[in-house]
Amino acid sequence: MNIITCFKVVPEEQDITVKPNRDISFEKAPMTISAYDLNCIEAGTQLAEANGGNVIGISVGAKKIDDSKLKKNVLSRGPESIFMVADDKLENIDTYQTANALKAVAEKIKDYDLILCGEGSADLYAQQVGPQLGQLLSLPAINSVSKITLADGKAIVERTLENELETLEISLPAVISVTSDINLPRIPSMKQILAAGKKSATIWSAEDAGIGNLSATLGVIETKAPEQMDRKKDIVQGDSEEAIKSFITKIQEVLK
Amino acid sequence: MKVFVFAENQKALLELCCGARQIGERIEAIVINSQDDKDTEVADKVWSIPQQDNAMLEDYTETIAALLEREKPDLLIFEPTKRCKLIAGRLAAMAGTSVMTDLIELTKEGEGSHLVYGGAAIRKEKLNTSLAIATIGPGVLQGSKETGKGEIELFPFVEPIRKIKVLNKEQKPKLSVNLPSAKRVIGVGRGIAKEEDLGMIRQLADVINAEVGCSRPIAEAERWMPKETYIGVSGLMLAPEVYMAIGISGQVQHTVGMNRSKVVIAINKDKNAPIFGQADYGIVGDLYKVVPALLDQLK
Repeated sequence: MNIITCFKVVPEEQDITVKPNRDISFEKAPMTISAYDLNCIEAGTQLAEANGGNVIGISVGAKKIDDSKLKKNVLSRGPESIFMVADDKLENIDTYQTANALKAVAEKIKDYDLILCGEGSADLYAQQVGPQLGQLLSLPAINSVSKITLADGKAIVERTLENELETLEISLPAVISVTSDINLPRIPSMKQILAAGKKSATIWSAEDAGIGNLSATLGVIETKAPEQMDRKKDIVQGDSEEAIKSFITKIQEVLK
Repeated sequence: MKVFVFAENQKALLELCCGARQIGERIEAIVINSQDDKDTEVADKVWSIPQQDNAMLEDYTETIAALLEREKPDLLIFEPTKRCKLIAGRLAAMAGTSVMTDLIELTKEGEGSHLVYGGAAIRKEKLNTSLAIATIGPGVLQGSKETGKGEIELFPFVEPIRKIKVLNKEQKPKLSVNLPSAKRVIGVGRGIAKEEDLGMIRQLADVINAEVGCSRPIAEAERWMPKETYIGVSGLMLAPEVYMAIGISGQVQHTVGMNRSKVVIAINKDKNAPIFGQADYGIVGDLYKVVPALLDQLK
C-alpha cells in the first residue's frame, strides 16, 4: 500500500508583517509546512501504521521549498521518502497549476493507492487542489473528510459538512482532502528526527517533471492588508469601581 | 456577461441570482428538478436537471460540465459550501481553470477579492480563462430587486463515470443560536479561565439581548463551545450592531470576522491587546470584575 501525502510550503503566518502602505512583507517569515498538511501527513502515517504500507510526501513550488530543514521535518513525521518539483517556474502558482504539477509527480511515482491532501493551504485556503487533482487523475475525489478507514481496495470515510455527517465508500485509488479535525499531528521524537536524515528526497525541475510550460489561469492584481475601520477607541484604564462605572455609563447608551 | 448560478440551498440560489444582476446582464440558474416557481422569478432562464434516485449533489458534476460546454457562460457562481467547492474544483479541472473561492467582493470586471494569510491580507485576483468560476457568500452581492421572467428548460442527466457510495447520512444537531442574524453578539476568548465561567457570560448575554460566539481556541482547543460558533477566518464573518469582545486579544484571524460590526466594545486586562485598536469603547480590566458589575448594573 503506497500512500501519497501532499504538502505545501508556506510562509509562517504569524511572522507576516504589514507595511505602512498596507503591503504584506514576508521578510521575517520563515518557510514552513502548511498547518492543514500536517494533519494530512499524520493521517497517511496512521493509515500506514494500521494497514501496513509506505507513505510518500510530495510537494511542488519554487526552488526554496527544497530546504533540508523542511524536508527533515516532513520525513520525521512518518513518510519514508519525498518527491518534489522545486523550480522557480512554479513560484506563486495557482490551484490549477498546482494540481497539474502534483499530477505529474504522482504519475512519475506511478504506484500509489491513495492520495491525501489537506483541506486547504494555510496561506491561500482555496480548498481546490484536492478536488482538481482527483479530476485531473480521473480518480474519485472527496473533501472535508474527518475519518478514514481502509478495507480491501476501498476507503470508508466520514465527511463533515455544514449540516450533515456522511459516511461514504470510495474505491481506491482516490484523492481525499482531510480536515484539521481528523487527528492531532504528532510531535516527532528524537529517534524519528535522527532517522529522517537517512531517508531519501528526490528533487525534480519543472522540465524533469514535464511541466515546463504550465501557464497561469489566475492573475493576482494586488495583495493588501485590510483597511482599518475608524473606531472611537474610547478606552477606560483600570478596573476600579469608578473606572467600571464610567465604562458602563459609556456603553449604556449603545446598549439601550 | 452571462452568469450561471448553482447552489445547494434554495435560499442561497435566490439571493445569488439577485446579486448576480450586479455582475452580469443575463442570469441563468442551474437547479436539480425545479418544481418551484420561485426559482424562475429571479433568473432569465432555469436549467432543470432531473433528480436521480440516491444521487449525491456531487453526482451532477458531469451534467453541469455538459451544460457549460454547450451554453458557454462567462461566469459560474457557486454557494460556498463544501459540496459546491468540490463540484467547482472538479469543473475547473475539466475546463482548465482555477476557482476564486470564498469571495468577499466581486466586480463587473470579474475581479474577485478574498482573505489570505489567515485574514492578514485581502488578495484581489482575476481569472484569465474564458470561463470564470467563483464561490461567493449570498450576503456579499447585495441583491437587486430586479427579477427575471425565466423559462424552464430541461437538461438531461449525464451519468457520472465514478460514483461514490453513500453508506450513511445524518443531520448534525441544529444549533439553537443564529449568530449571523443576531443584532448583538458577545465574543469570548482565552481570557475566560474555565468552562463554567461561560455561565456568567450567558447571563450577561440574556441581559443585553445578545447571542454568544467565541474565538477559535475556545471552540477548537478547549472545545467549550461548538465549532460552528467561532468567529474569524474559516469561521463566522459577522457584522452585528454591537459586538462585545470579552477576554479576546484581537488577533487578525479573529478580527476579520467581526470588524464590520457597527459598534465594538472590548473588555481585556492587557492594555496592549490589539482589540483595543479596533474598539469604540473598552476597559482595561479584569473581566471577572467587569462582567459581574455589568450584570449588576444593566439588569
